[in-house]
Amino acid sequence: MVSQPDLSVNIGGLKIKNPVITASGTFGYGNELTPFYDPSLLGAIIVKGLSLKLIPGNPPPRIVETPCGLLNAIGLANIGIEAFIEEKLPSLFKNKTPIITNIYGHAIKEYAEMAKRIESVDRIAAIEINISCPNVEQGGMAFGTDPDTAAMVTDQVVKNTTKPVIVKLTPNVTDISTIARAVESAGAQAISVTNTFLGMSVDVATRQPKLANIIGGLSGPAIKPMALYLVHKVVANVEIPVIGLGGIMDYQDALEFLLVGASAIQVGTANFINPKAAIEIVNDLTDYCLREKISNINEIIGGLKTNGENHEKIGDKKNK
Amino acid sequence: MLEETVLIEFNRQIGKDTWLMGFRSADLASLAKPGQFLMIHLDRNTKDPLLRRPFSIHRIQDRNQLMILYKIVGKGTLLLSSLKEDDPISVVGPLGNGFTISGPHERPLLIAGGMGIAPLFFIAQALNKIQKHTIKMFLGFSTSQEVVLVDQLKGLNIDLSLTTEDGSLGIKGLVTDLLDEYLRQELNKKPVIYACGPTLMLKKVAQKAITSNLRCYVSLEGCMACGLGICQGCAVKAGNSKDKPYYYVCQDGPVFSSEMIDWRAI
Ligand SMILES: Cc1cc2nc3c(=O)[nH]c(=O)nc-3n(C[C@H](O)[C@H](O)[C@H](O)COP(=O)(O)OP(=O)(O)OC[C@H]3O[C@@H](n4cnc5c(N)ncnc54)[C@H](O)[C@@H]3O)c2cc1C
Ligand SMILES: Cc1cc2nc3c(=O)[nH]c(=O)nc-3n(C[C@H](O)[C@H](O)[C@H](O)COP(=O)(O)O)c2cc1C
Ligand code: FES
Repeated sequence: MVSQPDLSVNIGGLKIKNPVITASGTFGYGNELTPFYDPSLLGAIIVKGLSLKLIPGNPPPRIVETPCGLLNAIGLANIGIEAFIEEKLPSLFKNKTPIITNIYGHAIKEYAEMAKRIESVDRIAAIEINISCPNVEQGGMAFGTDPDTAAMVTDQVVKNTTKPVIVKLTPNVTDISTIARAVESAGAQAISVTNTFLGMSVDVATRQPKLANIIGGLSGPAIKPMALYLVHKVVANVEIPVIGLGGIMDYQDALEFLLVGASAIQVGTANFINPKAAIEIVNDLTDYCLREKISNINEIIGGLKTNGENHEKIGDKKNK
Repeated sequence: MLEETVLIEFNRQIGKDTWLMGFRSADLASLAKPGQFLMIHLDRNTKDPLLRRPFSIHRIQDRNQLMILYKIVGKGTLLLSSLKEDDPISVVGPLGNGFTISGPHERPLLIAGGMGIAPLFFIAQALNKIQKHTIKMFLGFSTSQEVVLVDQLKGLNIDLSLTTEDGSLGIKGLVTDLLDEYLRQELNKKPVIYACGPTLMLKKVAQKAITSNLRCYVSLEGCMACGLGICQGCAVKAGNSKDKPYYYVCQDGPVFSSEMIDWRAI
């Protein structure tokens, strides 16, 4: 009998049995897709982004499809961290699959407060910080667009928890490597790349924006080449593990991210189209490794074959 | 709730831009209730259109045949109409809450505008089995070429009044005009209203039902990415709930009791 390949990876101290994680905001509060498969077979589950208090979200229309993409302006609607811990978490599958909470706040102290609250909850394995949201104390500019602010948020979360802290970066910046290095120095144990790209869509007949919020975040296959590039760039600039995401629909897409150096991947928009997308990626990666006689998935990670000279174009680690 | 790849049994045009599609699935058919819907993936290999499209369950026949009735309005529905017998489609469902069927002694009044007939046909079938009173239906289209299913509805023993906006068939005007007239004359019959159609039509129906103090269920549409309660895209403003600012059409609906919705926001 052929032995099963080892798909386990280590994300900044969090060991997961395979590199497939669900992306925040695309997997509900964790058990909505149980009619289709057992989510505990995945590497980890990242639940809907949580804030200190309930957020109603934006008025509709909140989503619009664009070529090969999905533009959303959900407005970070969520039930609030306390309701999640009290009402949702206890009913989530009891087994050992790590549950990661994605958090965001409108002020740095809100991030700190949430980290403190999560620290006392055993079932939550790690924290992913969403820094793509507006900072009300700084005129609404996103925390993730300024290296100092991004570092301050990271620092406050790291100080208030012993759990691994993953920082999820926004692609809507001039140089993502500066932000990546800033959050690494502030103590982040891993980085997720990428959140959605800002975008718009207009209804020519009515001359109105198709989203009530006017602007939204683009996800899905349309962003995959750009997301891959950003992962490539961040991997070259930090030592900590990078989790890649953006438009991953199947195991081939996942392999692209692993090859450019992502230690794990997240499945987002694909969950909407194929509710079994994430588990199919786990199974197909297993089959791929068997076929290719790869005994450990880590053999693939960072295995991109390039001509050495070109590597400098994205900023080599040596140049840091 | 399940995902199944089914083979199309038939897919034919029955009116202007209006198509009827049938496929078999014993599992989906046994679970389906009137008012529920399906998310259909047109082609697994294409990324454009990307998302599944929602369609009401229009009819169940022979215990295992499901039908959807759809109108071509964009690239997804155009692609759907190009599919042939034995082509595979992936179906997720049944989704949503479905209609609450009234008791045998109530007087159902069905109001459908355009493709709103799709789910109402299914509930008409269900009501027909249990109802003591004749089922009344107001059915409206914009023009005669769009009119479909009239014979089948009459076969269900329904008292049907038809309107077209241009007057090319039936009564000239809107279905909501018929409702005004009916409420003036027969409000005392206290009908239970089931409505589906364009959102503005539903708004009118719901507001009239609220002022006339009638029970009224409307089936809403919303922009949906998942249909599964995980994207929170399909929000509709709640009218009566303080701790729930929005309902989600795919989970809390698509059928809502008229007072649940904040119609001013629509
Ligand atoms: C619960 C539910 C049940 C439905 N049942 C049926 C049905 O039984 N038969 C049927 O023909 N249609 C039904 N619809 C509407 C149907 O899903 C849309 O017409 C379809 O998704 C359009 O896809 P498209 O790619 O052809 O059009 P697109 O290119 O996506 O859009 C074309 C035009 O249609 C509008 N549109 C797109 N989606 C919707 C929507 N969900 N509601 C209203 N307008 C929309 C767009 O604004 C645009 O103007 C239902 C929708 C929902 C939410
Ligand atoms: C409907 C929707 C809601 C999302 N909500 C969140 C969220 O609450 N927090 C967050 O960090 N990212 C959120 N995201 C971003 C995704 O987690 C992911 O970063 C992005 O969609 C790119 O991946 P994809 O192309 O695989 O979807 C959301 C995305 C979508 C489409
Ligand atoms: S369509 Fe995704 S939550 Fe309703």
